[in-house]
Amino acid sequence: MPAVVATSASRSGARYPRTLRGQLVGKLPQYLAGTLMLAVFQLSMNRIDWLSKASVDRIFGRAADFPWSLSVSIFAFAVVALVTRVASRWFIFNAGRDVEYELRSALLEHLHSLGAAFYRKMSAGEIMSRSSGDLLQVRLLYGFGILNLINVVFAFASALQVMVTISGKLTLVSLTMLPLIVLLGRAVSGQLYTRTKANQETLGRLSEAVQNNLAGVRVVRSFALERRERLRFQKANLAYLEASLGLARLRGLMGPSIGAAASVGLLAFFWYGSTLLLQGGLSQGSFFAFWLAFGRMTWPMIAVGFSIAIVQRGRAGFARLEEIFKELPEVVSGTHEPPANPEGALSVRGLSFAYVDGGREVLSDVSFELPAGRSLAVMGRTGSGKSTLAMLLARLLPTPRGKVLVDGDDLCDLPLSYVRESVGYAQQDAFLFSTTVTENIGFCLAETETDEACDKVYAAAKEAQVHEEALALPEKYDTVVGERGVQLSGGQKQRIALARAFARSPRILVLDDPLSAVDAKTEEAILDTISRHATKCTLVLITHRIAAAQRCDDVLVLDEGRILEHGTPAELLANGSLYAAFAEEQSAERELLDLELGGPPPPASASGGAS
Amino acid sequence: MTERSKPANPSAKGQTKRNKTAAKTVRAYHEEEALGRAYDTKLLRRVWPFVRPHSKFIVVSLGLLLLLAATQLVRPLLMGRVVEHAGKGEASALLRDGVLLALFVVGGQLLTFLQTYIMQVAGARAMADLRAEVFAFFQRLSLRYFDKTPVGRLVTRATGDVDALGELFASGVLNAVGDLVGLVGIVAMMLTLHAKLSLIAFAALPFVGLVVNFVRRRSRDAFREIRTKTARLNAFLNEQVAGVAVVQAYAREEKMQAEFDAINDAYREANKRSIFYEAVLDAAIEMVSTVCIASVLFWAGFSRAGDPTITFPLVVTFTQYIRQFFEPVSLLAQRYTILQSAMSGAERIFGLLDEEDVESSVAPTDGPSEVAADAPAIELDHVTFGYKPGVPVLNDVSLRIAKGEKVALVGATGAGKSTVAGLALRLYEVEDGTVRVMGRDVAEQDRVTMRESFSVVPQDVFLFAGTVLSNVAISDETPNRARVEESLRRIGALELFERRQGGLDAKVDERGANFSGGERQLIAFARALYRDTPIVILDEATASIDSNTERKMQTALEAVMAGRTSLVIAHRLSTIRAVDRIIVFHKGHIVESGSHDELIVKNGVYARLHKLQFAREHAAQVAKGTPSVPVPAA
Repeated sequence: MPAVVATSASRSGARYPRTLRGQLVGKLPQYLAGTLMLAVFQLSMNRIDWLSKASVDRIFGRAADFPWSLSVSIFAFAVVALVTRVASRWFIFNAGRDVEYELRSALLEHLHSLGAAFYRKMSAGEIMSRSSGDLLQVRLLYGFGILNLINVVFAFASALQVMVTISGKLTLVSLTMLPLIVLLGRAVSGQLYTRTKANQETLGRLSEAVQNNLAGVRVVRSFALERRERLRFQKANLAYLEASLGLARLRGLMGPSIGAAASVGLLAFFWYGSTLLLQGGLSQGSFFAFWLAFGRMTWPMIAVGFSIAIVQRGRAGFARLEEIFKELPEVVSGTHEPPANPEGALSVRGLSFAYVDGGREVLSDVSFELPAGRSLAVMGRTGSGKSTLAMLLARLLPTPRGKVLVDGDDLCDLPLSYVRESVGYAQQDAFLFSTTVTENIGFCLAETETDEACDKVYAAAKEAQVHEEALALPEKYDTVVGERGVQLSGGQKQRIALARAFARSPRILVLDDPLSAVDAKTEEAILDTISRHATKCTLVLITHRIAAAQRCDDVLVLDEGRILEHGTPAELLANGSLYAAFAEEQSAERELLDLELGGPPPPASASGGAS
Repeated sequence: MTERSKPANPSAKGQTKRNKTAAKTVRAYHEEEALGRAYDTKLLRRVWPFVRPHSKFIVVSLGLLLLLAATQLVRPLLMGRVVEHAGKGEASALLRDGVLLALFVVGGQLLTFLQTYIMQVAGARAMADLRAEVFAFFQRLSLRYFDKTPVGRLVTRATGDVDALGELFASGVLNAVGDLVGLVGIVAMMLTLHAKLSLIAFAALPFVGLVVNFVRRRSRDAFREIRTKTARLNAFLNEQVAGVAVVQAYAREEKMQAEFDAINDAYREANKRSIFYEAVLDAAIEMVSTVCIASVLFWAGFSRAGDPTITFPLVVTFTQYIRQFFEPVSLLAQRYTILQSAMSGAERIFGLLDEEDVESSVAPTDGPSEVAADAPAIELDHVTFGYKPGVPVLNDVSLRIAKGEKVALVGATGAGKSTVAGLALRLYEVEDGTVRVMGRDVAEQDRVTMRESFSVVPQDVFLFAGTVLSNVAISDETPNRARVEESLRRIGALELFERRQGGLDAKVDERGANFSGGERQLIAFARALYRDTPIVILDEATASIDSNTERKMQTALEAVMAGRTSLVIAHRLSTIRAVDRIIVFHKGHIVESGSHDELIVKNGVYARLHKLQFAREHAAQVAKGTPSVPVPAA
């Protein structure tokens, strides 16, 4: 699908390689620089060992004098070691961070391009776990893993050069435990990973127990289930306690077991080294230098095992990220030139749609014409296919080819950017971002801080009847709303989302029941603006309210995905059975609501759980 | 938010200022989790009661820590002696000290394990207790508090925040005490062994001090930034996934990507800074350790001629001391940040525990006050109540439901029907007036005991993760299968659930996501039957239910109400007909009360409602072939 590449090439995320090898090649300069630094670092450490040997031999040997140059050289090499050590980490760990940055950026870019089919398949929790846990493993591979694998080679070379030169036998004796340490490192690292994961799972179950208890707090209280809930929690709490102590035992034993293995080597060296010293086969300087070199090998020995495990996990993590990267976007941009003078005429011809190939049709053979500037109300019961129709018109679902035309052009042939610009869409469950009211309403604007933009935001808010309420918020328009923000009522959220759609002033506006949580009076006022809007743009209004439908030029009644009735409101009121029934029902309801029985007026929107 | 470009229009100065504060608000809002002080005695004093029951572990652990510090002080001495024996050719002494050294090394490792593990036992147990306390506190928090606080944030108090505090024990921050003792010990030993050589050895120490000081603050700032940016990155990505349709519909992919990249970049840069500082610290300590050893060698070489006390074994011993000295120093910066995050975790936990919006505890009852035998099962006596202050939902409402009576509450959405049920269960406290259950004021009864005489079938049924069986027998530890079957059979739903794969043991997902609304309702009815309480409260679902299910519901409803005091919040004609009395609510008042026939004759609000219901049924019939009844809020 070349069209995708064409549209997304401008975005930063698309530039970055999305394969294990691609990322490795991309960071090659950093890795090479890091490798060089590690080589120099290990070389200086090697020199320091030899210089130390010379110093000790001089001090405790026969030579009477002690040249300054030895100490100065050690000091100089120590400085070189400092610089190269820092630099090696700087180059290689940073490469790991760069990989993480690029993959995360590419991930969002790709997630933005995927449609509803993907999000039905993979839950938000799963996506988040891959973007954090798996990405972490990948980063460890590209940073810590690679650094240690390279370092091990140089460290061994540098240390062994000292050790073998001094005494091959002593080296052999000291390194008897090497295989064991590598194996231990690997085993511990593997165990550590599985135990950590298991620990995370028990923590997950604990959170679930708390989450369930809090989400179901009304049931818990009504049914007096506190005791049972406490027992459930205690069980999860205890399991977590056990798991974390289990992990602590493993972590705690890791040190002593690797340490013990390493110390056996050290002891072997001390024992045999001292014997050699005693027999005169080894100078004191050699003994000292060997000791220093051997000490430098301990960590790389452990790191070998760790690095192997990290590489394995990093690859597995990458594979899970690739599963997302391999998903193809359902909706791809068209390549036709957009019309020079768009008007906003909509025509739907024989539109059918099923979410799963060969599955149940949610829409069957829907056709209608909507000239530019006209309005159409779509009604029908829950599950009649209204929302699917709305999303298909906005191309938020894979709209079938040749079935939806805008100004005579197939929707699928038009560039996606053009479609998005000309078709506005607002849905029933208003999704707001956790930013300010201004930013939410001015979502479509490139800038929200100019006077002009501000005017636009205010105007849209007024049209959606939310201006006064926005001003009444603690920080007015700068109040942070959304997910965790101030508790806006459902109606307020819907109206902010509606204002967001208004601020965009698209040529075609598709509104999917945006007033379900708004009270009657406010609805009235908004409908007034919508009908004023309708003179400017083509409107498709999905609603369950007769009062709203009444204001549209045409009404379409859907039933199980098919058009049941289609005509002007007046026609349907006279002839349409379902529409007329809706009308009768709602007029009775309205009458009841309007009854004045002397009581105080009800709260604006049915307040928190009232009934 | 991200960096904003300067406004093109110079006249927009005031506007810009406003938006600068806006940007600040957004930032403050997202980065609420910034780290607090590293040390706060007030907070520590509040943690103590949870730790105290396990303090014997801490005492043992600290004791082991001192022992460990002592063994570590001996190790370099032993190493020196081994070398000394070797130099002198004392074979048997070499063997003896070699074995001793081996024991010390391995023993030291084991001691380390024991010490840290025991510390973790104390910490993990104390944290489990704290978690239990937080959970118990949740059970006392008023429902109002839940209405205004997102559940996710509360869950974090019991999980993430407690874990952050627990890191104090798990990461060995408390071992810093032992490190300090160790450091002092090493310095003392070195000074005793050879004062001059020690001074030379530590000549480079001030340099380490400088580096640590340089790195510590910067590294902490970087860490703080990483923390806030991690939270921000995850929240942003989560939001993008949840709102992907909006982003797509408004073609804001690029703008969102730019915002995300800015956070992502800040995160990366903070990490790179942290990498740099950590590398500098590690490398500097390594270098200083090398330089120290070099200085020792230099001094030894320089003054050996005049100082026979400087021997090769002494050099070996000194070298080992120097190495051991720098180990804990390299951990300092890391430990400091752990301490900080532990403190901010503690602050949030105790902030929650200080919340005052809790259910009042039971007033002391003066024994069972005499209750008239004919006292009503539920009575509201001039009750006024609102969820928000100043917005009454019930206004001076009085009603009595006699024992065994079946009453339906009818009225428009927001009229206050469900509120009556909530008050009878004492889920909320009345503002004015009295609610009595079985003749006794609910405020004087133990909540749990009182609620045990109720069964509730709510509008939106909440199922717990588990099985059908465990959900029906919600109040029992071990479900009684026979009674569950009987309950389901009586509401005519046994066959329906047995047909399902797994039957009564079929898995119920979190919140019952794998069951339809109708099935969940049926489970709730069975729950009520299984519970077998004298009072039932039924809040009918308004959602569209097909007529097949509707018929089942009717059977279920009648089965549940049989022989019980029943309060039904009714939305359907069929239900209303099955009760003894109908109470009509309108805007927080009772406007009518009486039997169906009486109210029809009266030709008041109920009569109109009835007409509305009739219209709806009519509409349902008209929509040929489709049995579902749309009921958009009665």
